Parts: sequence; C-alpha cells; structure tokens
Amino acid sequence: MGNISNRYAIVGVGESERSRKSGTTPLHLALDAARAAIEDAGLNATDIDGVMNYNTNDSCTSHELATYLGVRPKYVKDIQGGGSSTEMLIGDAISLIESGMLNTVLIYRSMNGASGQRVGRGYDPDMLQTALSGGSFIMPYGSASPSQWFGMYATRHMHETGIRKEHLGHVCLSFYDHAQRNPNAFLHGKPLTMEDYLATPDISSPFNIHDSCLELDEGNAIIVTSAERAKDCKSKPVYIMGMSLRQTHPHVHYWNDIDQVAADYVGEELYQNAGVKPEDVQVAAIYDCFSWVVLRQLEAYGFAPRGEVGDFVAEGNLRIGGKLPTNTAGGMLAEGYTHGMNNAIEIVRQLRHEYKGTDRQVEDCEIGICTGWSGPDIAGAMILRN
Amino acid sequence: MTTMTYQKPVPLKDQDNKAYWDAADEHQLALQKCKDCNTYAHPPGPSCSKCGSKNVSWEHFGDEVTATIYSYVISYRPFLPGFQDDLPTIIALAKLDQVPEVKIMCNVLNCDEKDIRIGMPVQMIWENITEDRALPQWIPIED
Ligand SMILES: [Zn+2]
Repeated sequence: MGNISNRYAIVGVGESERSRKSGTTPLHLALDAARAAIEDAGLNATDIDGVMNYNTNDSCTSHELATYLGVRPKYVKDIQGGGSSTEMLIGDAISLIESGMLNTVLIYRSMNGASGQRVGRGYDPDMLQTALSGGSFIMPYGSASPSQWFGMYATRHMHETGIRKEHLGHVCLSFYDHAQRNPNAFLHGKPLTMEDYLATPDISSPFNIHDSCLELDEGNAIIVTSAERAKDCKSKPVYIMGMSLRQTHPHVHYWNDIDQVAADYVGEELYQNAGVKPEDVQVAAIYDCFSWVVLRQLEAYGFAPRGEVGDFVAEGNLRIGGKLPTNTAGGMLAEGYTHGMNNAIEIVRQLRHEYKGTDRQVEDCEIGICTGWSGPDIAGAMILRN
Repeated sequence: MTTMTYQKPVPLKDQDNKAYWDAADEHQLALQKCKDCNTYAHPPGPSCSKCGSKNVSWEHFGDEVTATIYSYVISYRPFLPGFQDDLPTIIALAKLDQVPEVKIMCNVLNCDEKDIRIGMPVQMIWENITEDRALPQWIPIED
C-alpha cells in the first residue's frame, strides 16, 4: 500500500439492536446500522457514493441496502468473507477514494447469526466436503466447527509455549468485565469468575462456551472518507495511520503447518506503514472469535514475546487500566459478534473519547490497533489515531 | 445387508483426490508429490500448492504407515451426523514418520481422551466403512 497515512478517516459508526431472535431480516438490521452511522457522521444518506458488505450468503446485498436508504450509489460491492473483511473492505474503500472514483463509502456487516444460518452448523456434510478446500479430508473425521479447527492450533501452541487453560480464562474474564460496563453488551449483567470458567466443561478442547464468540442477530456499519471531507462531518474523525493484509496457508480449512498464522506476516508491514511501534499502542480491538486467537495475535503483533503472552494477560493487561486495554466493549466473546466489525466500531469510539468521564473510557488514548482473523490463513490489521 | 448403515460423512471422490481415496479403499497410502519442488501435497490438488507446478505425480507408501501426533482436539459435541454415538471424538493431525512435512487429519481410535498427547506414536489402520470404501484412521502404538 502506498503512503495513505492519516489521509483517510472513519467518520461514522453505528449498529442495530443485538439479540438472539431479531424477528426481522438482515436488511432491516443493516438499515438500522447504516442510518445510525450516517447520523453519527452528520451526513445525508445521499452523500454515500459507495456501499460494500461482506457475508457468508447470510445477508442482504449492498444494492438492496442502498435502495432502501434511498441512495443510488456509483459503486456497490459484496464479498464473501468473515474476519479480516472489515479491514480488507476499508482498504478497498481507501483505494477507490484515492483513485477519485468515490468520495464516501459505507461498509456494513449484517446477519441473523443466532436465529438464521449459524457458522459451522446445520450444513449438509456432503455440501461442506465440496465447498471447503480439502473438505473430504476433514468432514469424514467429524471436524466441521471452527472450535475444532482453531482448537487444533491452540493445543499445539499451548504445548509449545506453556500457555494453560487459565490463561485462556484471563482473556474471557477481561472481556466479560468490559461487558459489565457496557449496557449494550449481550452478556451485560453476566459476570464471569475464574472458578466458573474452569468448572465449565469443554465443547472442543481446549475451548468451553466462554472461549467462544456469541453468535447474535446484529448489523454494524462504518463510514470511510478522505481526511479532507472528514472536516465536513459532525463526528470527530478517527484517522487510519496504516494497514496491512495477508493470506498465507494454501488451504482455507486444511491447515498443515499450524505453527504459523497470517498475523505473523502482517505485523511488521503494519507498524512500518503506520510509523509506530507496539509500545505506542494504547487501546486494542483484537479479533476474538475464540479466546486463544487473542493470545496468538498478541504474540504476532508484538505485544508480548512468545511464551510470555500467558503472563501478560494474567497480569490484567487486557483490562481497562492495564497496558493494552482490549475489546473494551466486551468483544465478540461478551458484547456481540459480527465477524469483527463490532470491535472496530468500539475502538473508533474509544479514540474519540466518547466515554469520557465513565469507567469505560481508556483514558487519553490516542493510538489503537484493530486486527482481523479469518482463520490462521488470512489476517488484516489497521492502526488508528484520533 | 451385512453391515450397519454408516451415518458419518463418506469421503467424496473427485478428480483431484481420487488417487488418494482409491488407494485408501485398497488399504494403501498414496500421496501427491510435486516433481518440480519435491514437495508432498496433502490434501492433493490440481497442481502443487507450494509452487503452482502442474508437474505432479502419485507415490505409494504401502500399508505400514506410522506417525506421531502433532496436535489434537477432543470434541465433546457432534457437529456432523454419526458422531453423536461416538463422543468424545479425538480429532488429530498425525505427522508422518516417512514424510514429516505431511500431516494427515484423522481420528485416533482405541485411545482414551485422557491419554492423547502431542508426540504420541500412532499407526495407520483402515476402517471399512461401506462395502467398497475404507477410511484411514490411527491407533496408538507402544513407545
Ligand atoms: Zn511444487
């Protein structure tokens, strides 16, 4: 990526209600989120000239969303994707604005993740065998859930580094604690203790239900524009200092070398593009489809040396008040799950100091990191500032 | 009918993996190898996943195949049909002794979930799952 540092900004963020049974369609949820983001930015819907979304065939199209916002944008784009897609589409939006094609792009993710089609459940096994690369080498052995796929990585990594189950627990406890400060978090009012955590039986070792993200019905939206145009917006812009994106493993689900993850290759370029170091980062949104994924990324992005990540989280460093307050709205483990976008929304709000004067605000934070994880094979990350 | 109906997914053969599953049905291991970069490709594909070469061939390793457990998960829920009668299920990656760059995903049978560990030596066996199909699996062997 060329030098786009500080020349693009996120100017609007918004979300729908979150629930386990929305009683409505992803289109309605997407409209709620988009209207909230447009209002947040102080724009008119007709200022949006590009609309993009990612989905797993579980959502409405950008065309439909634009239609019912009453907008006829120059450009619409729908991609198949999950984690890292927020970052990748923000990258696309920047490129299209840089080229002069567009001015202001709305990116959304909307899904009935609980009441509709659920990740890793309810699919026909024969369809999965053909749909996934190498699927016939996976499905006959009963492996069809991300908890099983990522568990394989976690077991190996924990074996090599000495990370233990209670370290996974510290990730969960930190995010559950944040959810108790966020009235909109799905698990607000449901605190978690280490005793409860360790007493909960595993679903797929080493993960129990607390290690796994909440699949909910929810829509999220983000608006990206140029720094120049951001001046006309009502909101305080959050600038993109740098990004990096990468695919590594040959197969999407048959991971042979489970010692490497794509995030290992993203960190260096990310910090170089942004012109900062890990120690400059004051607040984080780390993709947390599973607790362990956070530990592995903290290692990859240079927040703790290999082998010391467990101690880093046990010391409370992910909590508000710690060295790297992470997923401060509760994350996908305790706030909600939209394949990463809800964490990106939260870090924007933190960097705007939107919670100033409350126990949710990371005091005086200026620089934040937002990471995506589409599995160990694809990573995307960005560094943001206020 | 002499066998009970097999409920779990049966590996689907396609043009890229047929040689592997045909060999498995004969209780043999076959692996795809790239003649240009000498990498074994597992799972197999239309070309080498390392260098992109179309110059790939098949090598046979017979029926005496050993490995060590590289990683595993213990699954306590059935995410696919057939596994509900078979919990907990150990799903593992077995690193081949003969070709350490290849790790084969499998179940470890005849193994209590408390005993599974990384580095455990295992041997490939073939479960006859239908009248004409066999599934490569692994069982622990003595250290
Ligand atoms: Zn090759």
